[in-house]
Amino acid sequence: MARKTSPAVRIGVDTGGTFTDFVIWKDGRLFNRKVLSTPQDPSLAIFEGVGDFLGSGAPAFIIHGTTVATNALLQRKGGRVALVTTAGFEDILAIGRQTRRELYSLQPEERFELIPAGRRFGIRERTLASGQVERTVSRSEVRKVIAKIRKSGAEAVAVCLLHSYASAKNEDVVAEELARAGLLASVSSRLLPEHREFERMSTTATNAFLMPVMDRYLRELDRRLGRAELRIMQSNEGYISPVRARLEPIKTSLSGPAGGAVGARVLARAAGIPNIISFDMGGTSTDVSLIEGRIRRTHEARIGDFPIRLPIIDIHSVGAGGGSIAYTDRGGSLRVGPQSAGADPGPACYGKGELPTVTDANLYLGRMDPEFFLGGRMRIHPDRSRAAVGRLARRIGKSARETALGIVAIANANMEKAIRVISIERGFDPRAFALFSFGGAGGMHAVEMAAHLGMPTVIVPRNAGVLSAFGLLMSDSVKDYTKSLMKPDSQVTLADLESEFRSLEQASFRDMKEDGFAAKDVVLERSLDCRYLGQSYEIDVPFRKARTAARAFLESFHSRHQKLYSYRHDRRPVEIVNLRVKAVAVTPKIPLFEEPGQKTLDPKAMIRKQPIFYGRAAAEGMVIDRSRLAPDNAVRGPALVIDPESTTFLPPNYIARVDGYSNLIIRKAGPR
Amino acid sequence: MKKFDPIELELFKNVFIAISEEMGAVLGRTALSPNIKERKDYSCSLFNENGETLAQGSHIPVHLGAMPLSVQAALQAVTFEKGDLVILNDPYRGGTHLPDITCISPVFLGRKLSFFVANRAHHSDVGGMTPGSMPLATELFQEGLIIPPLKLYSRGRMNKDVFDLILSNVRTPDERRGDLLAQFAANEIGRARLEEAVARFGAGKVRLYSGLVQDYTEKFLRETIRTIPDGVYAFEDFLDNDGISARSIKIGVRVTIRGDEAVVDFSSSSPQTEGGVNANFAITCSAVLYVFRSLVEEDIPFNTGLMRPLEIVAPKGSIVNAEFPAACAGGNVETSQRIVDVLLGALAKAVPDRIPAASQGTMNNIAFGGYDPWRKRHFAYYETIGGGMGAGSGAAGLDGVHTHMTNSLNTPLEALENYLPIRIRRYGLRKGSGGKGLHRGGEGIIREYEFRVPATLTILSERRRFAPYGVRGGGPGAKGKNTLVSRGRKKVLGSKVNVTLRPGDVLRVETPGGGGYGRPRR
Repeated sequence: MARKTSPAVRIGVDTGGTFTDFVIWKDGRLFNRKVLSTPQDPSLAIFEGVGDFLGSGAPAFIIHGTTVATNALLQRKGGRVALVTTAGFEDILAIGRQTRRELYSLQPEERFELIPAGRRFGIRERTLASGQVERTVSRSEVRKVIAKIRKSGAEAVAVCLLHSYASAKNEDVVAEELARAGLLASVSSRLLPEHREFERMSTTATNAFLMPVMDRYLRELDRRLGRAELRIMQSNEGYISPVRARLEPIKTSLSGPAGGAVGARVLARAAGIPNIISFDMGGTSTDVSLIEGRIRRTHEARIGDFPIRLPIIDIHSVGAGGGSIAYTDRGGSLRVGPQSAGADPGPACYGKGELPTVTDANLYLGRMDPEFFLGGRMRIHPDRSRAAVGRLARRIGKSARETALGIVAIANANMEKAIRVISIERGFDPRAFALFSFGGAGGMHAVEMAAHLGMPTVIVPRNAGVLSAFGLLMSDSVKDYTKSLMKPDSQVTLADLESEFRSLEQASFRDMKEDGFAAKDVVLERSLDCRYLGQSYEIDVPFRKARTAARAFLESFHSRHQKLYSYRHDRRPVEIVNLRVKAVAVTPKIPLFEEPGQKTLDPKAMIRKQPIFYGRAAAEGMVIDRSRLAPDNAVRGPALVIDPESTTFLPPNYIARVDGYSNLIIRKAGPR
Repeated sequence: MKKFDPIELELFKNVFIAISEEMGAVLGRTALSPNIKERKDYSCSLFNENGETLAQGSHIPVHLGAMPLSVQAALQAVTFEKGDLVILNDPYRGGTHLPDITCISPVFLGRKLSFFVANRAHHSDVGGMTPGSMPLATELFQEGLIIPPLKLYSRGRMNKDVFDLILSNVRTPDERRGDLLAQFAANEIGRARLEEAVARFGAGKVRLYSGLVQDYTEKFLRETIRTIPDGVYAFEDFLDNDGISARSIKIGVRVTIRGDEAVVDFSSSSPQTEGGVNANFAITCSAVLYVFRSLVEEDIPFNTGLMRPLEIVAPKGSIVNAEFPAACAGGNVETSQRIVDVLLGALAKAVPDRIPAASQGTMNNIAFGGYDPWRKRHFAYYETIGGGMGAGSGAAGLDGVHTHMTNSLNTPLEALENYLPIRIRRYGLRKGSGGKGLHRGGEGIIREYEFRVPATLTILSERRRFAPYGVRGGGPGAKGKNTLVSRGRKKVLGSKVNVTLRPGDVLRVETPGGGGYGRPRR
């Protein structure tokens, strides 16, 4: 299952807002690097970090998590796009699902028009739901439209004709003509051959919007990296070649977070706790996702203004983070966030801002070490936190300590809600999962939140700050293929399914070959999106070639439906909506070594004692230097465990044990 | 407002809202019908023992004001015991229109009835004259099965006789059963979560803050009303007709603002009518609450606190407070929109910079059914179509969108054409339909249906005769238009019609544009 030649140097590179992180594997050794990001041209920071590996020897293999697509979406800065669609349906993109975001707003909400009416072109053609082409496209009409597109100054063209998932004949003709004209094209039947015209069109158009941006970026990066072998991480937890990323940039929209999810999965599995909810608390927002042995994916994501219907890791975000500002609203209630002090002015303790934030509350409560913030790289001012929290306390008539505890409790409640959404609302019981906390601020909140949610274990990995880069290094090549079928199960023979699956798999072999993988290196997973006839939501169930129980997928569907929706309906016809194939070409992995245990605690690990507040009580808690902890060491709360990237707050009656991979495994202590 | 702890207030607000939202998630997830599952036509709420709302998952505005009346009707009709589930849809005993079925469960703390959890969902059929149960009727009995408050579950056991009676009176019993079980599941979750909250915080605190969250919401609304100049503001507008006679129907309002309170008086409105555009008091309440809730800019819990600064005067037997057995299927979907329009029109005279021009003012209800010879089955289908939003002081109105009392999704035409013997020939914006102005009104929608087989069609629409108004010199939005092309002949249909279609017939629905805001720049 290995590639023929395994490069000597493998690097995971994750571009972040502040730092670009590198995890490098060379000569059997793993090490990290951090370089300040260069937002104007992210490739600069990447070159700075990997430059010294680009020289002689075997070319370095680099897997890159990029924010280029994400930022273009969030900032609405993409290319100038035109749309070609069926005449009479040019406005589907503008109408969307005919809903508004805000129910109770009398003023029209602001909307971003991806493609204005003047660049939406209809052509006379029609394919029916059955796939029968009722009216073929006229090439001369297409050429006329292309002339108009050129005039419009569009850099990329989205093509989405009605029912093209059922037959791509008409779209193919348009695509051919666009290729002949030398225009960048994003074609719906190739990108997302599934029914539901708005979502397909919008995904295709968003892809076109990103094409010019990704094209420029990857050209630049390619030039800098020379003969290194580059791969780009997709939102579906696997990487693709730069060539593919330029054609399908939308697939990289959650590139970095996907690396984080892979990293979490790999470490959690190594720790023997494969079922986790990952919790990444940053400065302004918190991301959570659920990993049940494998990373859960969704087909219904949204980034900024853009709905995205491609397989993407299922991440839920809330506007709560260390920088979230605490204030009282007009009704006298204490609110925390979603407004954030961000990095500038930042929390009061950074020295500029005056408003109390979650970070200030933590500092006031002794849940952070003022001496060791960002490993001592940044000076913070506890007195400013105290003053800011104190001002708020006077306004609400409480003590400063009560106020700080209140800020933390409210922030926790907001973040717990995100965990409920990703678990309970998706049919999972959080009590069966461990909370896997990474990101700088999470460790100060994780144990209390887990207790509220009934989650028995908290895992805090070491090097949490470069988890995404680590995950990139550990990821595989993953490609997804889909075909809309939309037929009741009774009208589909197994032979039909087999031949449809085969043709998707053939496509996957061709694509994987382009990336240097032989067919035998590719692991295939077949699944079906099913629903009861008449429903409008699908459930994906695995499809296996079982000779004995030919329609085992039906039973899987009924039982999954029961689990998710609390009932099953065995006599109701089941409709097969989509066939899916996930192709994974397994990349040779860096081995993770479990280090031997050591019972005694290095006395130098104990830095000093400081007062820590929790509930109504306070206690002297030990501040522990995490870098001096060894496997099998155990720390009992109240304590702070600190490393340059994160702080973990251990309340009383909790014990953190260090496992063989240097993770902190935190559980409630038994009676002493 | 009583003395409270600002931290606990925030935490309890979160708890109550989270419970109602989780109920909504369960209902949406477990329901069977697309109308509930995909179009999310439902709402979930928590109540105290008097039937006052604590929080409501923000789903469908038209359900909002109506839910407390359901709980109160149930309290009058039955004696609640542990494990009961009371169901109702009777518009004159706690309901709105028959397709909206409400399920109410009591929450006991020890032996004391302390809270209720309830949800309301729009069922796609509850019997009656036509599929979809939105017929052009003249009395309630024709509109479907009438369910007074009664126990579907009694002390935790399903009342099978009631279940069977309901399912025998609807066209799609399997789907109804699935949806009702989902409603049951949603209440069960709500009850369990409330009990957990009590276990965690103590019954006393939960009760205390269930009152305080209402005070909290009330305070926001009072402060908002205070920003409106004292005075009397009147406005009137019309419904095209009731679908039976051609007479227009007036809705008139007089809003009196005094300090932090408002009296909303509909006394000048027309009497109730024969056709089904009658609104009961619950619907009128919902529309009024929607408008006042929208005036508050902050994100606040939706609860009974909103009612306290308001007095609603709606004469019995009028179009805005119809009496049994007036037909009322359209009151919920059409008249509610016009009530919003007149109330906004009146408020525009007081605070013109905060009030937008009229939106399309209709939901354009389209229902059709027949026999599909290719798929060998009967079909029934119902949808609503968006239109133009009224322009505001800051921006043009949105194009092709649902406004005010509804926000339900469209059905993808690629899905429709897969299941029904129809084709959509055109679906786009209706250029130029938005009212002119400094900010133009949103554009309406054009949707063309081609029928491949014989079918019966019911249209329940509005603003085909009276255009959505503009404000501050802005022009009106274009009126809507329903056109049937049959064998080469074009025929303009009325607002509300029932027609038989032949294969090849094309229905073209043009929905109204939104009104413009401000005088156009020259």
